[in-house]
Amino acid sequence: MTQLKIENLHAGYGSKMILNDFNLEINQGEMIALLGPSGCGKTTLLNALCGFVPASHGEIYVGDRVITKLPAEKRNITMVFQSYALWPHLTVAQNIGYGLKVRKVKTAEIQDRVNELLVIVKLEGLQNEKVTSLSGGQRQRVALARALAIRPDVLVLDEPLSNLDAKVRLNVRHEIKSLQKQLGFTSLIVTHDQEEALVMADRIAVLNQGKIEQLGTPEEIYRTPSSAFVANFMGAENHIEWQNDDNTLPAKSAQQIYFRSESVQVTVPSEKASSLSNDVHFDSDLTCQGHVLQSAFFGHHYRISVRCGAHTIQADHHSDLPENTPVTLRVTADALHIYNNQVETAAHHVPTSFQSNK
Amino acid sequence: MINTHVTIQSMVLEKLKNMPLKFNFWLQILFILVFALVLFGPIVNLLIWTVTEVWYFPHALPSQWGFKYWHQVFNPYSNVSSSLFTSIIIAILTVCVCLLVSVPAGYALSKRSMPFRVFWMLLFLIPQAFPNLTVYMNIARLFYEFGLNGTLLGVVLVHSIHGLMFSVWISVAAFSTTDPMLERASRNLGAGPIYTFFHIILPQAAPGIIASCIFVFLESLDEFTGTFFVGAPDISTLPLLLYSASMEGNYQIASITALILLVPSILFMLIINKFMSPEMLSKLGK
Ligand SMILES: Nc1ncnc2c1ncn2[C@@H]1O[C@H](COP(=O)(O)OP(=O)(O)OP(=O)(O)O)[C@@H](O)[C@H]1O
Ligand SMILES: [Mg+2]
Repeated sequence: MTQLKIENLHAGYGSKMILNDFNLEINQGEMIALLGPSGCGKTTLLNALCGFVPASHGEIYVGDRVITKLPAEKRNITMVFQSYALWPHLTVAQNIGYGLKVRKVKTAEIQDRVNELLVIVKLEGLQNEKVTSLSGGQRQRVALARALAIRPDVLVLDEPLSNLDAKVRLNVRHEIKSLQKQLGFTSLIVTHDQEEALVMADRIAVLNQGKIEQLGTPEEIYRTPSSAFVANFMGAENHIEWQNDDNTLPAKSAQQIYFRSESVQVTVPSEKASSLSNDVHFDSDLTCQGHVLQSAFFGHHYRISVRCGAHTIQADHHSDLPENTPVTLRVTADALHIYNNQVETAAHHVPTSFQSNK
Repeated sequence: MINTHVTIQSMVLEKLKNMPLKFNFWLQILFILVFALVLFGPIVNLLIWTVTEVWYFPHALPSQWGFKYWHQVFNPYSNVSSSLFTSIIIAILTVCVCLLVSVPAGYALSKRSMPFRVFWMLLFLIPQAFPNLTVYMNIARLFYEFGLNGTLLGVVLVHSIHGLMFSVWISVAAFSTTDPMLERASRNLGAGPIYTFFHIILPQAAPGIIASCIFVFLESLDEFTGTFFVGAPDISTLPLLLYSASMEGNYQIASITALILLVPSILFMLIINKFMSPEMLSKLGK
C-alpha cells in the first residue's frame, strides 16, 4: 500500500527550481534512502514534503490525502533535523512530549507516551535533563523520539548521522534501522554515505541534480547501477574510456567502463618487467598491465594505484607492493559496469550480460 | 677592600633596581588617588550633603550633622515619596508600552524578508537624531492639542518614544539570534505560528527582551527633559523634584533624591550580572 506519493513535483527557492518533475512512491512501513551528492536537492525535497518549501507544481499524497498546499503544522510528516533543532529551554521529556501537548493530549497520557519512547530510544532516567547537557548521540535520540511521539504518517530524516562520530554513527544507524523494523514507520532518510544507505534502506533512490537517477533495492543499486553516475557514486571509482576501433560502426563511439577497486585481481608476473607493455585490453574481461605508483594501508588490505598507459587504476591487494613493481590487473566481465556514449550504435560490442545495465 | 667595593657596588645596583619600581609605585598611587577623587569626589560630596543639617559656606565640613532631611523625605506626605511613586508607575507603564511595540516589531523586523526593514529600524532612531529639546518641545505642542500635557499618559508616551529606540533595536537583535530551525521543528510537530511564537521563539529571545526592559525602566526613571516639557508642573517625577530642589538651593533633598535614583540602577546591574551570561549579552550586538 502506498503511504507517500510524490507526483510531478516542482519546487525550489524563488525562481530557482531545484526539483523538476520529481516522482516517488513509498510503501507503508518502508524505509527509502535518498542518496546523492551535496547540493543535489535532498534537503529541498524533505522541506517540500514538510511544507517549508512551497511546491509550485505537482501533488504530494499521504495515503489518499492531498497535502501539497497544507501548512507545515497540518501535514503529520515529522522531520529529524540535521542540526537536531532541539529546544534548549525545555527538558528532554518536554521536547519529546511537545507534539502531544500541542495536540492537547492529557498530561498523564503524554507522560506515559514519553516514558515509553524514552525506553525505546534508550534514554531512561534522562527525562529531566536539559537537552544542552546531552551528548551528540543522545540528542540524536531525543530528536528521533520527539519526531516519533506523535506517530507521524511519514518520518523524514535529514542526514541524521552526519554530526556523530564514526563509532556512535554505526550504533545509531543500527538502532534506527531496528526501530524502524520494530515500529514499522514509513520513512525517508537522506544521506550522502553510500554504506549507510545500503545498510539501512529497503530501497535506495540515487539523486542527481534534482532527479532520481535510479530507484531500486540496495542490491540492484550496488550490482547493476543504471548509469555511470550511479556506478561512480556507489563506489565504482575506476573509470576507463574504451575507444572503439571497430571501423564498421557508423560513428566513432566510446564505452565508459566503471569498476570497483575490490573487484580487481592483481597478479605479479614472474617475467622481467621489460617484457610487459603498459596497456589496457578489453574483450569481455578487462586486463591491464602497468606499474605500481603507490600503495596505502587500508586495514584489511592495501589500496594500490597502478599506472596503465594513460589510466591510473585503484586496486585492492592483500599485501604491500613496492613502487614500480610491474603488475597485471584483471577484472572479470561480471564486475564491469559499461555505459555507452552513443547508446544505439555501440550496443553490439557490449557482452549480452550487460545489456540490462544500460 | 675588594670585598667592600663589591658590596658598595651591589648596594648601588640594588638602589638603582628599586628606584624605578618605587617611583612607579608612587606614581601609580598618585594616579589612583586623582582618579578616585575625580570619580568619587562628587559622590562623597553628595553623601555628605545627605547627612548635613547646617553647612555654612567657607567651612570644609558641615557644622551640624543629622538625618533630619531623611525623615522629611520619607515622610509619607512628602513630595519625594509621591514623586518616587509616580516615577516608578511611569517607568513600569513605559516598559509595558515599549514591550507591546517592540516584541511584535522586533520579531517582524528580525525577518530578513520584511519589506522596508532598514527604514522601519531607522524610524525608531529618528527621534534620537535631533536635539532632545527640539523634539520634546514639538511633542509638547502636539500633545497640548490632544490634551495630553500634564497627564500620566502623556509622560508615559514621551518616555516610550525615547525607550523604543533601545527596546526595538535590542529586540530585533534578540529575535535575530534565535535559530529558525527551532521554529521549523515546532511547526513540524503540529504547532501553529502563534503557539510557536509564545512557546518556542519568545523564550529564546527572552534574555534580550528582559535586558531591553531594564534599559527602558532605568532610562524612564532618569528622564528629565521630556517629563519637564510634557508633564510639569502637574506630574512630578524624581528627576523633576531633584531639579527644583537644587534650584531652590535645597541640596539635602536633592542629594537624597539622587541617592534614591541610584538604587534601581545598582539593583538592576546586579540582576543583569546574575542572570545574564556575557555570551547572551554579546549576542545582542549581532
Ligand atoms: N534557502 C535557499 N535559498 C536558495 N537556494 C537554496 C536554499 N537552500 C538550498 N538552496 C540551493 O538548492 C540546492 C539544493 O540544496 P539542498 O540543500 O537541497 O542540497 P542537499 O542535497 O541537501 O545537499 P547537502 O548534502 O549538502 O545537504 C543547492 O544548489 C542550494 O544552493
Ligand atoms: Mg542537505
